[in-house]
Amino acid sequence: MSRVGPASVIRGRNTLLGWSFLLPNFVGFALLTMVPVVLLFYYAFTTWDIFGGAEWSGLDNARQMLHDASFWTAVQNTVYYTVFHIPLTLVASLGLAVLLNKRLRAVAFFRTVAFFPYIASIVAVAQVWNMLFSPGYGPINAVLRAVGVDNPPGWTTSADWSMPAVIVVGTWREMGYFMLIFLAGLQTVPGELYEAARVDGANAWQRLWAVTLPCLRPTTFFVVVLLTINSFKVLDLILVMTNGGPGQSTLVLAQYVYRKGFEENQFGYASAVSVVLFLLCFLITLVQFVVNRRREA
Amino acid sequence: MKRSIAAVLGAVTALSLTLTGCGSGDDDAGGAGDKTLTLAGWSLATTPEFKVLADGFHAANPDYTVELKEYDPKNYDTQMIADLAAGKAPDIYVQKTLKNFYTYQNGKQLLDVSDVATGLGSGANGLPFYQVEGKTFAIPYRQDSWVVYYNKALFDQAKVKYPDGSWTWDDYAAAGKQLTAGLKTAGSKALGIYQHVWQSTLQGFALAQTPGADLSSGNFGYLKPYYTRAVDLQKAGAQVGLGDATTNNLTYQAQFGKQQAAMMTMGTWYIATLLSQQKSGDADKFEWGIAPAPQLDKSTTGLSATPVTFADPTGMGINPKINKNKIETAKKFLSYVASPEAAKALAGIGITPANTDAAADTIFAIPGVPTDAVSKFAFTKHDTKPENPVGKYTAPLQNILNDLHTSVLSGTTDIDAAITQAQDKAKNEVLNK
Repeated sequence: MSRVGPASVIRGRNTLLGWSFLLPNFVGFALLTMVPVVLLFYYAFTTWDIFGGAEWSGLDNARQMLHDASFWTAVQNTVYYTVFHIPLTLVASLGLAVLLNKRLRAVAFFRTVAFFPYIASIVAVAQVWNMLFSPGYGPINAVLRAVGVDNPPGWTTSADWSMPAVIVVGTWREMGYFMLIFLAGLQTVPGELYEAARVDGANAWQRLWAVTLPCLRPTTFFVVVLLTINSFKVLDLILVMTNGGPGQSTLVLAQYVYRKGFEENQFGYASAVSVVLFLLCFLITLVQFVVNRRREA
Repeated sequence: MKRSIAAVLGAVTALSLTLTGCGSGDDDAGGAGDKTLTLAGWSLATTPEFKVLADGFHAANPDYTVELKEYDPKNYDTQMIADLAAGKAPDIYVQKTLKNFYTYQNGKQLLDVSDVATGLGSGANGLPFYQVEGKTFAIPYRQDSWVVYYNKALFDQAKVKYPDGSWTWDDYAAAGKQLTAGLKTAGSKALGIYQHVWQSTLQGFALAQTPGADLSSGNFGYLKPYYTRAVDLQKAGAQVGLGDATTNNLTYQAQFGKQQAAMMTMGTWYIATLLSQQKSGDADKFEWGIAPAPQLDKSTTGLSATPVTFADPTGMGINPKINKNKIETAKKFLSYVASPEAAKALAGIGITPANTDAAADTIFAIPGVPTDAVSKFAFTKHDTKPENPVGKYTAPLQNILNDLHTSVLSGTTDIDAAITQAQDKAKNEVLNK
């Protein structure tokens, strides 16, 4: 510390130090994430069964996708899941956050309970829910029969009900995580605003509508973006709960990529489908950013 | 200070390289030389066959040793493909499913072992499945076959006659219903039949037994009678529905072993499992037997005919990246795994070797294995077809047919509509793409 060099030396040293901190993460990221992602865009235009080299096939994969009914079923199912999963999770997690933002007894306990599904093993979660949903022996249908429903749904064993069942479990699983984000957002809402609203005679519903929600806008935006990306790339839950079935009733894009790549060894085609999945996520997130910016302006 | 920055950078670079797996180790086998082979296996603790073969080879050829490399059974092919592509795979690896043989062979990941095949004679079942354009690329060491397992106590309770090898599928279904009714009258909750959730339980038989059936033709009409019968059995309550079996994660070991069903079709690999589970208490102790798989029609029934059934062989092939000096040793090992000696060693642990004839005496000498004439006939006499043909389109067509399987057995689609849908998909997405 006794010697202090000229400014350029200090700057150089700082840059080096900065790089030394960045490097471990950056090298890992570059080799394990960035390179594969960049390569994926190349493989999307090739035919590749993993051994040997990938053969350039231009737009063949894209053309194949156009005529691939299973691909379109997967797109539809992914959109189906997303359209219901996002609003349901948003409402459930916000509701939980508002409820658990009060000074209740044992609030920490309830917060933990709500967060628990998120950290529970996905395989265990799917297994338990599958048993709950079991059409013949499951408790859910037992309750429905007890209250007079003669023909309760087949849930994961019926093509019409399998997606709703998966959405329910997906929402139940993720709401605790987004509740935490909303809880953090709620701490930033100034107490004076509520006081002022109360003085003006606003009831609880009006306070939520006029104070809480506008103040939570940045948080809500963040949650919606995360939820959108999560919903589009849903895989684990479906893989262990229904494996895409019955038939193709819960086949989603991410699982289709897995099937084509790892089960059928068509890595070129699987890469092309992943690129579509990426573009879908990217475009929708872009639209969300634009809309959000306009509203802010 | 400068020195410390250099040190930090050096440490960081070393750390990053370690983290990203760019070690400076060399992959040279070295040391053990040409007399040590590496062999891929899975679940070594519960799948003793690899060790039995490795030890047997070493005992017969004390100069050579075989080291085992363990893989995860569920992701075996994915991991093996990755290892082969990276040049890290063992010298000899197992063809766990015939479905993926095409990927390995077409990807030039298997050495030509035709000379080993020539030396084997006619004893090895399943060899033709590994032959492409007259060359052999893997040597089968086990060849299971699907048979009917039945619980003698439950049959007696329901007052139904044991299967005698004369059954067609209609007889099987009728017996299943009779058993369910008889067991109910006797106060038992067991059902007549358990059909496991796999698509092969119906599609394997349909493809093997129906004359002219061809998966790669994209015509799946041959599946209809098999599915019609299964849906009827589910509706009649003679077997658990696919939905309940999947949502409750039923295992065939527990369904048959814990006497929840009086009979089921399953591969001969279950003999070893059932024996060990009856010993350990994981399965109830009861008398059981095996019978030939039910047939499409009467022409292949009876103990004087050869029943048609299915099951894939399990074979071993040589990694082309093997050290040149070790190829001869590897071939020697492959000859050993298909030999009568290895067959006897495998049969000793309850496994059905490819060389079934050489092993019959050994397997029927194991305590607990049924020794009645029908069981012996079922084990030794059959025309076993592969579950699927070896080919480029097998894996995608199987996925399409798995969708058919779940949608028909869950009652979502009727079999005619499901077959039409599957044929359309096969045509547009696989065969004519």
